Amino acid sequence: MKASTSERIGDVLSYLFMLVIFAFFAWPLLWLLSLALRTRKEVFLGVSRFIPKAPTLDNFITILSSDKFAGYLWNALKLSSLSALGCLVVALPAAYAFSRFEFRGKGAWMMALLSVQMISPLVIMVPLYRYMASIGLTDSHFGATMVYIALAVPMVTWILKGTIDGIPATLDEAAMIDGCSRFGVFLRVILPLSTPGIASAFIISVIGGWSQFLVPFLLITKESLTPIGVGIFQYAGTQNDSSIQLLAAACLVSVVPAIIAFLALQRLILGALTAGAVKG
Amino acid sequence: MPPASAITALPNAAAPARARQKPRVAPWLLPLILVLGLFYLYPVFDVFRLALTRATLLGDEGGYTFATLAQTLSRPEIPGILGVTATFTLASVFSQQLLGLFIALVVVRGEKRRLFGTTIVRTTALIAWVVPGIAGGIIWKMLFNEAPFGGLNSLLRLMGASPVQWLSDPNLVMWSVVVSNVWRGTAFSMVVMYAALKAIDPVLYEAASVDGATARQRLFHVTLPQLRSAILVNMILITIQTLNTFDAIISLTGGGPGRSTEVLSLYTFNVVFRNYDLASGAVLSILMLIISLGLALIYAAFLPKGEER
Repeated sequence: MKASTSERIGDVLSYLFMLVIFAFFAWPLLWLLSLALRTRKEVFLGVSRFIPKAPTLDNFITILSSDKFAGYLWNALKLSSLSALGCLVVALPAAYAFSRFEFRGKGAWMMALLSVQMISPLVIMVPLYRYMASIGLTDSHFGATMVYIALAVPMVTWILKGTIDGIPATLDEAAMIDGCSRFGVFLRVILPLSTPGIASAFIISVIGGWSQFLVPFLLITKESLTPIGVGIFQYAGTQNDSSIQLLAAACLVSVVPAIIAFLALQRLILGALTAGAVKG
Repeated sequence: MPPASAITALPNAAAPARARQKPRVAPWLLPLILVLGLFYLYPVFDVFRLALTRATLLGDEGGYTFATLAQTLSRPEIPGILGVTATFTLASVFSQQLLGLFIALVVVRGEKRRLFGTTIVRTTALIAWVVPGIAGGIIWKMLFNEAPFGGLNSLLRLMGASPVQWLSDPNLVMWSVVVSNVWRGTAFSMVVMYAALKAIDPVLYEAASVDGATARQRLFHVTLPQLRSAILVNMILITIQTLNTFDAIISLTGGGPGRSTEVLSLYTFNVVFRNYDLASGAVLSILMLIISLGLALIYAAFLPKGEER
């Protein structure tokens, strides 16, 4: 029974490793939660009050009832969902074409799409700032949304192409024999069948938009238009050690929506991200 | 960030349907081309133009000149900035790759042995990945804080160890920043490695165990060689991601103390948007572009050509 003892040892080591990993990844967020639930006095008691004696939701109430934060959250939701929608509108037809049509330079186009992804947003923001200012698109959600779309669209196109590749092309042909046009096939066959891929691409770009900092930081100066990513940064700059529990609550408020969106569709998202790697 | 599927879903993957008449491609691609042209092609072109001017963020460009190029690249702080960038990138990339691989291996083993908690571990790592960069920086600033509410020092005190100056010791601060970046970034490598591990043909393991291979031999002679190309490509992807990281640093240390954590992207940001020096910023952007492009070419060179994976 030598094999089974070595398997046992392996199990113990696996558990130990998983415990360490769990502690590393969970500790920062648990600590954040612990701070956010404390009163001002308990904050300074450190780890001995990891579970606060008098947990309070006051910090969250203070944050959420301020007009500022409600605005930040609403703006972030608006920007990230509109841009995710726009992203789908731009990426879906292209993904269909890349998946189904044979045309000259297709490989080069796909590679170009990938290399665009490697350009830092900072590089394009350097000239884009003046360009947007001169056509009056600073301090506008429309301008910011367009840039969000551009930043997310290469990856979304790749993901959607992967999804559409998984739909048998014979379905297209069958529909066309029945008299459907290309666009009809796209609308009536491809779109309904790629719902899972579309849903995960949508959520991935919503999460990406939610965490945007650079673009809104540069393009939006009006506080009433600022999304949470920038709002939390500015809020952190105005806080000091005596209000750390409020900052923790604010931080949690900015993080939780992204986490929930991700957890809700975790399986789908991971499937979409790794589809190519598994299918080969 | 690029999807993991880009690693293997190559342009030649699916044989497309042959339409009876050749379909027109242009209308399908037009929106994409417009968006990328306006927001990538034009800005990149403009960056090259601006690098040859004396433009500031506030206007006036003056004539074209090579002076900005020379002046910017010969600034005394540039070698330091590049050094900091290289340390940050190398340390982050290697730690993320190693840790991601280990977690993936243990998770796959755990799933096979039906161990409790594999899903919890995987999900926790992924949650850290979804945390926005700015928030991640703020969270780690609270952990590294030297006041009583600092999440690491108060743990150390509890265990009777002396507190550490995580963010104010210039020799240590870089490692603190790397730890926070590894916390946020490892899940990506984990996902890629997990998918690659799942894609290995089980027949290989059967053959290895028929030949009496030990667990260690299976790891070094079956698993790792099979993962080779996934590891290479993953490392290049996360290298580019790490090079572009600056939001997590700006809210954690702001580049300090001194310039000890000011990476190239943060420096470029400061030059353009704090000093309003658009022309020098454009030169630095080109430097970033060249570094990323060099890596992208390496990426392209490693892509398996035509062979089925």
